[in-house]
Amino acid sequence: MKIRNIIIKDLKIILSDKKALAIIIIMPIVLMTILSFALKGTFLTSDDMFVESVDIAVVKKYDADKDSQIFAESLKNSFIADGMGEETVKNLISSGEEVDPEEIFFEDFLESEEVSKIISYRIEDENKATELLNKEEVSAVVILPEKFIYDMKINLITPFRNNIDINILAHPDRNIDGLIVKSVMEAYSNAMSSTIIGKNVLIETALKYDVDTSKFVNMSDSMDYMSKVMENININIENVSVEGRKNINSADYYAVAMITMFILFAAGQGGRMLLEEKDNQTYQRMITAGTSRFELLSGKFITIFLIAIFQIAAMIIFSHIALKVQWGNLSLIILISLTASFSIAGLGSFVGAATLRAGNYKMANIFENAIIQVMALFGGSFFPIDVMPEFMQKLSFLSLNGMALKSYLKVMVGYGLEEIINYIALMAVLGVLFLVLAVVILKRKGVGDDAEYNKVKAVEA
Amino acid sequence: MAMLKVDNLFKSFGNVKAVDGISFEVEKGEVFGLLGPNGAGKSTTISMISTLVPPSQGEIIFEDTNIFKEPNSLRKKLGVVPQDIALYPTLSGYENLYFWGNIYGLKGKDLKNRIHEVADIIGLNGRIKDRVDKYSGGMKRRLNIGAALLHMPELLIMDEPTVGIDPQSRNHILDTVLELNKQGITIIYTSHYMEEVEYLCNRVCIMDEGKIIASGTQSELVELIEGKTQINLKLDMMNLNLLEKIKEIDGVSDALVFDDMITIYGENADILLADIIDKVSESERRIQKIDVKKPNLETVFLHLTGKALRD
Repeated sequence: MKIRNIIIKDLKIILSDKKALAIIIIMPIVLMTILSFALKGTFLTSDDMFVESVDIAVVKKYDADKDSQIFAESLKNSFIADGMGEETVKNLISSGEEVDPEEIFFEDFLESEEVSKIISYRIEDENKATELLNKEEVSAVVILPEKFIYDMKINLITPFRNNIDINILAHPDRNIDGLIVKSVMEAYSNAMSSTIIGKNVLIETALKYDVDTSKFVNMSDSMDYMSKVMENININIENVSVEGRKNINSADYYAVAMITMFILFAAGQGGRMLLEEKDNQTYQRMITAGTSRFELLSGKFITIFLIAIFQIAAMIIFSHIALKVQWGNLSLIILISLTASFSIAGLGSFVGAATLRAGNYKMANIFENAIIQVMALFGGSFFPIDVMPEFMQKLSFLSLNGMALKSYLKVMVGYGLEEIINYIALMAVLGVLFLVLAVVILKRKGVGDDAEYNKVKAVEA
Repeated sequence: MAMLKVDNLFKSFGNVKAVDGISFEVEKGEVFGLLGPNGAGKSTTISMISTLVPPSQGEIIFEDTNIFKEPNSLRKKLGVVPQDIALYPTLSGYENLYFWGNIYGLKGKDLKNRIHEVADIIGLNGRIKDRVDKYSGGMKRRLNIGAALLHMPELLIMDEPTVGIDPQSRNHILDTVLELNKQGITIIYTSHYMEEVEYLCNRVCIMDEGKIIASGTQSELVELIEGKTQINLKLDMMNLNLLEKIKEIDGVSDALVFDDMITIYGENADILLADIIDKVSESERRIQKIDVKKPNLETVFLHLTGKALRD
C-alpha cells in the first residue's frame, strides 16, 4: 500500500515536471526524428568513419574457359559476326583472348592500392561463402554471375551490350560493411565505363582490325558509346538476403539508439529521488510515519521501471507511426523492454542509494553527465559500434544500453529468442546486482540519519 | 504517569556533542516546551524522539515501551511537524494531504473526510486544491502542520513551526496548537522564540549546548531569578561607549544591543533606572523610549547562561 502510494506520488511529480518530461520523452523523440532523416544518406555510407578492412567472399558462378570458348564460337557462328570479314573475326577472337575480365576485376580493381585498403577478398564457392557470411566471418558476398566473362567480352570487344548482374549479399548485422562493398562495386562499374578503358579497348580493337581512320574522327561519340556499354553492369545489393532477414535503416537504428540511451536518463532521474526526498525532509517524515527505507527504495525502483517502460512504449509507438520503423516480433520486443527497464530500475536504485549515502548530488551528476554519455558512446547510441575499433566494440557489453540496443536490432532484423537470450539474461543479472548493491548501501549504518549532523556542523562552523 | 520519558540521552556526531545527557518527562495532555537558541540540541533531541536518529546512549520510553526497540509503538501515535517544510511543492495541498494520509494508513472516504477536517483546522480549505509552490510561507507552514494531524496523533512534536512567517500566520499557528491541545493531543513544542513558549507551554525545558540548564513550569523557572529586571532602552542614536558605561553600573548584570534597542538586565529597577538615565545624560544622548519588564524566560536564560536567547 505504502509502496503504491509512493509510486503514484512520484509519477505525479514527474508528470508535473516539464523539464523532466522534456528529457525523458520529448528530447528522444525529437532526436530520433532528426537523426533518422539527417543521417539517412550517410548512415550506411560512412566513408569518413574509421573502418577496418572489410572482408568479402567472391563467388565465381561462371566458367571462364567455357565463357571464352562460347565467346569465340559466337563470333564465328552467330549473328554477332554478321557482316564481318574472316580476318576481322579472327582478330576479334584474338582480342577476346587478350582482354581478361577476371584480371580487370581482381587484379586491376580489387587488388588496386586504394580498393585493397578497404576490401580484402577471398574466392569461395557459393555455399561456403554463404556459410562464412552467416558466421560473420565475411561482411558481404559478391556473386559474379554465370557468363560473366562472356558478357564482359561481348561488352568490351563488340558493339553489342549485355546486362551483367553482380549480386551482393550483406550480413544484416554488418550493413555498413555491406554498403561499403556496394559503393566499391559501383566504383568498379564507373571505372569500367570510364573513357580510359573505353579508349584503350576501342583503339586496340580498331587498330587490330584495320578500321578506317575516319572512325576516329567522331572519337568522342564513340567514347560515350563505350561508357554506355559499361553502364550495363548492374550492381544489386540484396538487402538482408541472408536467411531472409531485413536490413536496418537510419530510422530503425536511431529509434533503437535513442530509446536505449534515454532510458538511462530515467535511471539518472531516479538516482536523485532519494536524496531529494531527504533534502525536502519528506524522507525523514516518511520514516517517522513508519515507512521503511526498503519500502522507499522499492517505490523508487518501481517508479524508475515504470518511467522506462513508459518511455520505451511512447518511443516505439511514435517511431512505428511517424518513422515507419518495423520493430519485429512483438513478444520479444516486450521481453527486451521489460528486461531493459528492470536493469535500468536496478541501476537507478543503485545510483539513488549511493547518492543518498554520499549526501550530495555529485554521484548523480557524474552518472548523468559522464557515465550515461560513455555508456551511450560504447553502447552504440551515438553511431553504430561496428564502425568502431574491435576493442571498443567489446566495451559495449559493459553498457546496459548497448545490450538493449543489440537485442532490439537483432529482433528487428528477424532473429529469435535464442539469439538475444544472453543479452536478456545479462541485463536481468545486472539489474538484480545493482538492486542488491542499493540494498546493501541503504543497510549500512548512518544512511539517511545524518541530517542533524550536517546541521550541527553548520552551527559549529 | 509520564507519557514520554527521556532518560540520560546522549548524541554525538564525530567529536560534536549535540545532546549531552538530558532527561525529562512529558505528561499526557500538556504542551511541553523545549526552549533554547539555535544549536542548543533541540532538533537533535526531537529527531531522537521521532525515532529518526538513534541515541549514542540513553533511552526514550513511550508508554512503557522503549521506542528504539519497538519504534512502531510510537510511530502510529506520533505526528511530527519538522522545522523545514516537508511537502511536495509541485503537488496540490490536497494531493499532499492525500499522500501523507495514505502513508499513515488512511484510505477511502475516511481519508477524504479527514483531509477536509484538517484543512479546516489549518484554515486552508479554500486553497487546498492549489499547488503548494503557489502558497505563501505561512500557508506552507500550516499545511506542514496539517500533514502531521491526519492520523489524529496522540503525541505531536512541533519543531520550530513558526520560523520565517508573518505575524498573522504565526498567530494562527499558535492558536491552532492550543486548539489541538484542547482536543487532547499532547504536544512537544520547540522554539527559540521565548514569547511562543511562554504563550503555549505548561512546562518548559531550557536547553543550551546540548544540556538542559533548567526545567519546570514557567513560574518555577522565573522563581530562579526572583528580583531580576529587564529594562529596554531606545536612544536617538546608538552609542557603544554608553553601552560599556551602563554595564559598569552597580547592579547591572548585562547589557546587550538588540536591533536598535539596549536591553539591560539587573536587580532593583528603581535604582537602576536613575543611574541609567544619568549615564545617558552624560553621554548627551536622548531617550526615545524606555520600559521595564518583569522577569521572564529570556531573563532566566540570560541568568543561567550569561548570553541572550537569540544569540
